[in-house]
Amino acid sequence: MLRRLSYILFLFSVSCIDPYNVELEEGQQLLTIDGMVTTGPGPHVIKLTRSDTYGSIYEGLIRPVQGATMIIRDDQGRVIFLEENTEISGTYETPESFSGEIGRSYTLQIQLVTGEVYSSLPEKIEAVPEIKNLTIETVQIPVEGETLFRSGAQIYAEIDDPGDQMNFYFWRNAESTFVLETRPDLYVIRSPNAPPQPAPKACCYICYQTENTGNQSIFIAQDENFNGLTTKIPVAFIEDNGRRLVNTFRTDIRQVGVSPEAYRFLKLVKQQTEISGSVFDPPPASIRGNMISLDNPDEVVLGYFMAGGEARKRIYIEYADLTFNQPRDIIPDDCRVFAGPNSDIPPADWNPND
Amino acid sequence: MKKLLFAFFFLLTHLGMAQTEVKREVVGRDIGQLKGIKISVRITDEITGEALVGATVTVPELGINRITDANGSFELELERAEYTLLFRYVGYETIDYPITAVGDGRIAIRMIQEDFQLDDVVIFGSDPEKNIKSTDMGAIKLSMNSIKELPPFLGEVDIIRSMATLPGVSQVGEAAAGLNVRGGGADQNLIQFAGAPIYNPTHLFGLFTSFNADIVNDVTLYKSVIPARFGGRGSSILDILPKTGSVTDWGGDLMVSNVSGKVGINGPIVKDKVSMKAGFRMSYINWFLGALSNPDLKASQANFYDGNLVISAPISENNEFTYSFYTSYDDFAFASDTTISWKNTSHSLQWKSRLTEKLSLEALGYYTQYDYSIFNRSGINNFDLNSGIRDYGVKAFLTYQFSEGNRITAGADIKQLTIQPGDLIPEDGAESGILPKKVQDEYGQESGVHFQHEFELGEKFGMSYGLRYDMYQYLGPRTVRQYAENQPISDGTAIGETTYEDGEKIIGYDGLGPRVSARYSLSKNSSFKAGYNKMYQFIHLISNTATIAPTDIWKLSDQFLEPQIVDQYSLGFYNNFKGNIFETSIEVYYKDIQNVVEYKDGANLILQDDIETELVPAEGQAYGIELYVKKNLGRLTGWISYTYSRSLRRVLTAYEEESINDGEWFASNFDKPHDLTLIGNYKVSTNTSISATFGYSTGRPVTFPEAKFDFSGNSLAYFDNRNEQRLPDFHRLDFAVNFKLNGKGKFFEGDWTFSILNVYGRKNPFSLFFADEAGAPPQAFRLAILGVPLPSISYSIKF
Repeated sequence: MLRRLSYILFLFSVSCIDPYNVELEEGQQLLTIDGMVTTGPGPHVIKLTRSDTYGSIYEGLIRPVQGATMIIRDDQGRVIFLEENTEISGTYETPESFSGEIGRSYTLQIQLVTGEVYSSLPEKIEAVPEIKNLTIETVQIPVEGETLFRSGAQIYAEIDDPGDQMNFYFWRNAESTFVLETRPDLYVIRSPNAPPQPAPKACCYICYQTENTGNQSIFIAQDENFNGLTTKIPVAFIEDNGRRLVNTFRTDIRQVGVSPEAYRFLKLVKQQTEISGSVFDPPPASIRGNMISLDNPDEVVLGYFMAGGEARKRIYIEYADLTFNQPRDIIPDDCRVFAGPNSDIPPADWNPND
Repeated sequence: MKKLLFAFFFLLTHLGMAQTEVKREVVGRDIGQLKGIKISVRITDEITGEALVGATVTVPELGINRITDANGSFELELERAEYTLLFRYVGYETIDYPITAVGDGRIAIRMIQEDFQLDDVVIFGSDPEKNIKSTDMGAIKLSMNSIKELPPFLGEVDIIRSMATLPGVSQVGEAAAGLNVRGGGADQNLIQFAGAPIYNPTHLFGLFTSFNADIVNDVTLYKSVIPARFGGRGSSILDILPKTGSVTDWGGDLMVSNVSGKVGINGPIVKDKVSMKAGFRMSYINWFLGALSNPDLKASQANFYDGNLVISAPISENNEFTYSFYTSYDDFAFASDTTISWKNTSHSLQWKSRLTEKLSLEALGYYTQYDYSIFNRSGINNFDLNSGIRDYGVKAFLTYQFSEGNRITAGADIKQLTIQPGDLIPEDGAESGILPKKVQDEYGQESGVHFQHEFELGEKFGMSYGLRYDMYQYLGPRTVRQYAENQPISDGTAIGETTYEDGEKIIGYDGLGPRVSARYSLSKNSSFKAGYNKMYQFIHLISNTATIAPTDIWKLSDQFLEPQIVDQYSLGFYNNFKGNIFETSIEVYYKDIQNVVEYKDGANLILQDDIETELVPAEGQAYGIELYVKKNLGRLTGWISYTYSRSLRRVLTAYEEESINDGEWFASNFDKPHDLTLIGNYKVSTNTSISATFGYSTGRPVTFPEAKFDFSGNSLAYFDNRNEQRLPDFHRLDFAVNFKLNGKGKFFEGDWTFSILNVYGRKNPFSLFFADEAGAPPQAFRLAILGVPLPSISYSIKF
């Protein structure tokens, strides 16, 4: 909320925020862990990368770390091996059959090809309440210097928070599917030496496109202010990009109960993603996770290995549910060009009227 | 015999003049010369003795004009006759000078500045030699006249911002509210208005100071050896005294600028006995918001006002009562769903009495209140969040004046503090999706007794020594946690709770704060001074931002958070030149600060009942050298101040998770080694003056990321050690022109002021921050608060 106060400075139209070139030293290549084990269905995914120089994409390319051996061990000595995904390098997956159990503690252990060994601190899985209901509100976000607002659907979860325990919530949305509308009848052949040639296609106008919207915003909450209550909390924001919210959009909200330490880590991440440079910003915080090097205790390892109970709920968002819409993109081609072959057939579980 | 004759003639001529009603000076030795009488004239400044170059003399009888040369001299050749010479020089009083020329001779003319007579560009206080003669160190008094010579900010002079032009005083950046005095935090300054502490004297989140300059008489900043009668803050005391009204005539003033308007009135309630002075100022910034194109700002609302009332009753020659009231209010609604408001209110009643010829008493009682609220009306889980501070206290001291330069002051004070750190009230009661939460109120009592003796030994040596004994109690009702020993304080290491009754002492601290300063005069115009003082502070500002925000939480010392203790050693050399026109000083200081607060990474400070779990005790040190040259008088007045200083912090902890920068000293958020201010005010004519301020300082510390890493779809920055890099240097030029419409023979006097801040439009970064925004690679961004030249205009009239 305070970050918005910085806009006061724009009252007089004298303040400005602009990109600024700073000389940064070459960044350290620190091992980074990003992954989570939950009580939800597998496979559970751990990503392994190395940090790089902060700055332009060309300078500091974050590279996946391949070829590591990775296991997850629980407090009863059970060991689960993770397989490296051959398609997405640096991504390691548990067997599909594996799910975390409430009350168990899990430790992630990694051995790199170069021999260094890393371990997480144990993370205990706590139960998480169900999502009773999902609702949406249309949100408009003014953009400095633009007349058109950014907008989208803010998704709220209604939950009955259990009064007898401390709960730390983390929400992510899983893979989303939306109806992509295109105009194959407006298809035009363009070639460098000839005028554009209209060449209407007969199909297809409607496809079902899936996407993984990486969470730009971190949605977390601690039940300190609503312990034992039925409450509504924002859990995701789906930005209207002129495509995904023009017909029907579907996503699964994953609600994960994380440990207090993981929550603290996520709070630092959230704080950093919301920094606006304003007078009221907190100073940059060092975001340290729960991974340690067993060879060199002073080595900094970034990221966090989380474990938690998970509840899922699905939501369909219709065009008409929004009170404000972005101008829709006109895409003059067969929608399968974008959404993939056979994407004109709805997924088997597509059921917006449920 | 010759002398007698001369006396006789002298008498005669003067008698003659008395008869003709014209004082006519006889110039020259009368040897009967009739023609070719040469009279040389030299014109100098009355006060400074400077030759006035380019002054004109007119001899109306002959219709001739002459101009003074580089020595301020010229020569006239006259016949034996009577003349009325007219001396003129821009900015000076014109002189009619009747003479009778009888022979060759000289005339010395001393001209007086008009301004000097208007008492307007004299920017020293009551005694121009005070800086040399007194034993005070680091006490700077600015009269309103001198503050008003500074370029105004958005149409008005700003008292607190003006302080930052003095050596050793800085601000973290543009639009930052707090002052950093000699490396101390913004909470280490006691800002008091008419004796009552004011916690957040800002409008619009620090863009303005909420003291109306028209109601202020003078401002004194004590930054070094603080008199023993002041206590409770570590770095400085900013003592703002209000103006009292006239006991004879009613008058008033009115001012409008492009941001705010104010009105003032003063006069006798009971003629010659009781006077009042009242002022009110309010913004009409909403007009601007409504006119803005940005729809979010269009839906925003900003209001502020402040008001003052001073009633002064000099009931007898020896007794005077003064009542002062101050209030300031702000609310700011962003996009109409969340409103933030804050309000200061203070009352104080002062009694000054001269008990005997040598003994005087000053007693003061006050009540001050600061309230802060957030009203959330976003539609989902609406709530109000309130917090506030209430202080009331009395202070009294006696002064016994043995002789000039030898006096004793002794007194005592006590105050009660109540802090309400936060109270969250859901709007929909039991229906709401959030719980009400009230952080326990805090109660404390601060008291002190003090004694100070100032004396002089001969001409050369003067000394002031004093002692203040501070006592503090942290009181119930309160439930306090215990934590396991030898472990960092955190929620996880809490092992139990103790409940204290209403008024029960939870913990107490006390300490002796000696102050001593000595002066050795080398001459009438120069002196050396040395000083030491120790200050205790039992209240802490819990703020994880670089500046003072209205949301900041004040916290009393408790068993986890010990009082801040500041030891300061200072040394100074003072020299005035040219009859006190130039005032110069060099001061060096070293400060040791104990128990300042640092924060754990990602500290949760709002609505935090066990705030000790988020804090890390730290220590500080600060040192610096301050150079100051001030021109008090003349057409050009102003000052140059340069400070080289460092302000460092260190966290020494046994626990690695609390460690900051591996336990090494690191720069505080407001460490700006080089700090230069140039201020000039030039009287172009009687009615017009121009002023300019130039400021330069090293960029403040900033933390650059060590690396970039990916987590949950965000590119994040990994920061390791705090404050190891710096923002680009800060520099800015401000400029103002003031026109006075002369009030002679008219109903009122008017004043136009035009100003431009940031004349050459430098984008001084307030901050650099690193963000991963959609559509661009993760990169550094710069926030410039005053990124363009900012003009303002104001018009004020007096009646």
